[in-house]
Amino acid sequence: MMQPMMQPMMQRLLPFLSLVVLFVALAIASPHFLTETNLSSVVRQTAVINVMSLGMTLIIIAGGIDLSVGAMLAMCGVLGTMAMQSGMPVTVGILVGLLAGLFWGSVNGFLTTRLRIAPFIVTLGTLGIIRGLTLIITNGLPVTQIPHSFAFLGEGNLLGVPFVLWVVVICALATHVILEHTRLGRYAFAIGSNPDAAVYAGVPVTFDTTMIYALGGLLTGLAGMIEASRLMTGQPSAGNGYELQAIAAVVIGGGSLHGGEGSVIGTLIGALIMGLLSNGSDLLGISPYLQQAIIGAVIILAVSVDELRKRRGRAEA
Amino acid sequence: MPSVLLDLSGIQKRYGGVTALRDGNLSVGPGEVHLLLGENGAGKSTLMKIVAGMEHRDAGRMLWQGREAAFRTPAEAATAGIAMVHQESLLAPHLTVAENIFLGREERLPFGWVNRRRMVEQASRLIEEHHFPLDAGWRVERLSPAGKQLVGICRAIQHGSSLLIFDEPTSSLSGAETEEVFRIVRTLRARGMGVIYITHRLEELRAIGDRVTILRDGATVHSGPLAEVSTDRIIQHMVGREMVSIYQRQPLAPGAELLRVEGLTRRGAFRDVSFSLRAGEIVGLAGLMGAGRTETCLAMFGVDPVDAGRVFVDGRPARIGSPREAVAAGIALVTEDRQKTGLALRLPIAYNITMANLREISRLGVIDSRAQNRVTAEYIARLRIRASSGRQAAGRLSGGNQQKVAIAKWLFRRARVFLFDEPTRGIDVGAKIEVFEVMDELARAGAAVLMVSSEMQELLQMADRILVMRQGRLTGELPGRTTQEEIMRFAALEPECAP
Repeated sequence: MMQPMMQPMMQRLLPFLSLVVLFVALAIASPHFLTETNLSSVVRQTAVINVMSLGMTLIIIAGGIDLSVGAMLAMCGVLGTMAMQSGMPVTVGILVGLLAGLFWGSVNGFLTTRLRIAPFIVTLGTLGIIRGLTLIITNGLPVTQIPHSFAFLGEGNLLGVPFVLWVVVICALATHVILEHTRLGRYAFAIGSNPDAAVYAGVPVTFDTTMIYALGGLLTGLAGMIEASRLMTGQPSAGNGYELQAIAAVVIGGGSLHGGEGSVIGTLIGALIMGLLSNGSDLLGISPYLQQAIIGAVIILAVSVDELRKRRGRAEA
Repeated sequence: MPSVLLDLSGIQKRYGGVTALRDGNLSVGPGEVHLLLGENGAGKSTLMKIVAGMEHRDAGRMLWQGREAAFRTPAEAATAGIAMVHQESLLAPHLTVAENIFLGREERLPFGWVNRRRMVEQASRLIEEHHFPLDAGWRVERLSPAGKQLVGICRAIQHGSSLLIFDEPTSSLSGAETEEVFRIVRTLRARGMGVIYITHRLEELRAIGDRVTILRDGATVHSGPLAEVSTDRIIQHMVGREMVSIYQRQPLAPGAELLRVEGLTRRGAFRDVSFSLRAGEIVGLAGLMGAGRTETCLAMFGVDPVDAGRVFVDGRPARIGSPREAVAAGIALVTEDRQKTGLALRLPIAYNITMANLREISRLGVIDSRAQNRVTAEYIARLRIRASSGRQAAGRLSGGNQQKVAIAKWLFRRARVFLFDEPTRGIDVGAKIEVFEVMDELARAGAAVLMVSSEMQELLQMADRILVMRQGRLTGELPGRTTQEEIMRFAALEPECAP
């Protein structure tokens, strides 16, 4: 009698249809849209926000928020490239970036759970700390002279498609499996939906919340390395405002800032909608100033449609 | 004055595919307290929302003071003289009593200034006139639930309402506070107001009501003077079938001691509480509001720290510093407030049932969804949880079915000591019986059950022994076949006076 628990595709049908409509519309409106060059550039451009917003999905589902991911992305990129600059192999440099993300994510998780400070405040604080430290480490100057092979992460191709596409797909699958099929993911939903009930049920709330933030940090570290690879520099000012884009992707995809709701597929759709809007505006010659306004309007539209759907659902109860 | 204030006939309301009301009929006159009864989901709230302008009817007729009426918003209904006294949630907690009374109807001076002095004066006069235990300057967040309801009542009186709707006003109140609400309702009746009063507490009907309307499955099944209908008959109308009026439980010989607490003390909450629970036993814990019963349960479950005392599980001292440790020790707490601490309302039933025992259906951290579905289906069937499927959000269920999900969670955890805190609060008669059956089954299967309840009748039906608390202390232990009077002697009287 029971079917698979969550059917994110069905629940997120509207964002998905919007994505399809947007895709078709752009294909009709611009002859340059459906070209291999353009599509792979969309993939490369959106990869950073995609990977980052996967981590944000976990955190938001668990009822949290992480405003420090933009700054974290910069620090991870800087530390990773500095390691490479100092002569370490590229893979070790990437690992350094990932570990930096894991570390800062754990710090965020530790502070919210142990000091019981609202995550909005904690991560607003760590945003400043991380960005400040990054500027101190680099003296405000970009890290350059990185081995050429590092470019493969952001710009290379594997089996005919951009290498980052594989990275994004693997991260998305892993996050999806964590969310829908593991205890950690289930507890994230429980904690986000009703933290008190989770505590009363014996869920290891403190530990698992910290884990979720740490995973979010890890994915942000990876996003930082992709960004660094695309720029071939470690930019201390990178990622400014990315946290808002990541949050927007989750929210457009049906995530609730009250926690307990959201899905990987929804977030990917959200991130892709934003990516296509931006790419489409470029192709159609719409000013980047107007692009920002359009994306802002789409966020509000998406969330109000979702609210309406939920309200109707509640009334039927 | 018209002889009928409000007359509803044939009211219908559908939400999507669900019929909430098929045939709602009700008629209230001035100076009348009209009880509106029915199980959860019978349509009481929907009917009242239609009256108060919060929902719109699909069909049917509503006469207000003799004229056809349809209120589009609560504000329109309020202007016409209909007010709903909600539970605390609809007040602005950071504002004062006076500000809440006048919220949205402040007397405005030029430039949007509010005449605060006159507002406080008027509020004070109103409070004084009715002898309400309130002060116009108090901040609402610091009031008790009863105080908050009084503010709602003041609002209604101040705005000249002639019909007041109370939705379960006493469900969160103590005995003394309930009396206070009754006194106020009687005063309102004496002043010629009409009152519609929704309640689940059958024992308070006679203290307050004049006439009664009973809804079942969205239709009015009975309406008439309260004096002409017996309580048994009312229950029959509500559930639609003959019901054993008292649930009969066969006590069994208790087995080994499963849990013992010694000298449990938490300053400001309870002192020196000692008792034990044995396998196969249902022990009642009685007492008035504020006697420290819930606090004792929370401490035994590791939610609140204790200042002194020890807990033994299976005769061995147990360290219970968190709910997690309590759960690991085999203790379960079915909390008083299932919406706040019992369930994740937005998550599926399946997630809620398995939440405390995911380990059993997962390997290496990965959940076996087939096992999860099997377990969910098993408990839905076993507890007769009325749900469309295990994927339905727990918050969509009726109160009784939510409670069953909360209980199922602990059954699946295979807990051995069950603490039930007010297990029948806010659930309908049919569901109550089913909850009792589960408790009985648990005892038969060798669990120990502690049942905290303010409904003494229910304790008398269920418990093998009844512990009584008063002002944070255990004041007595009575056999299961005792009387309400006997319990009250220990619960309410000074220890010197108790035998």
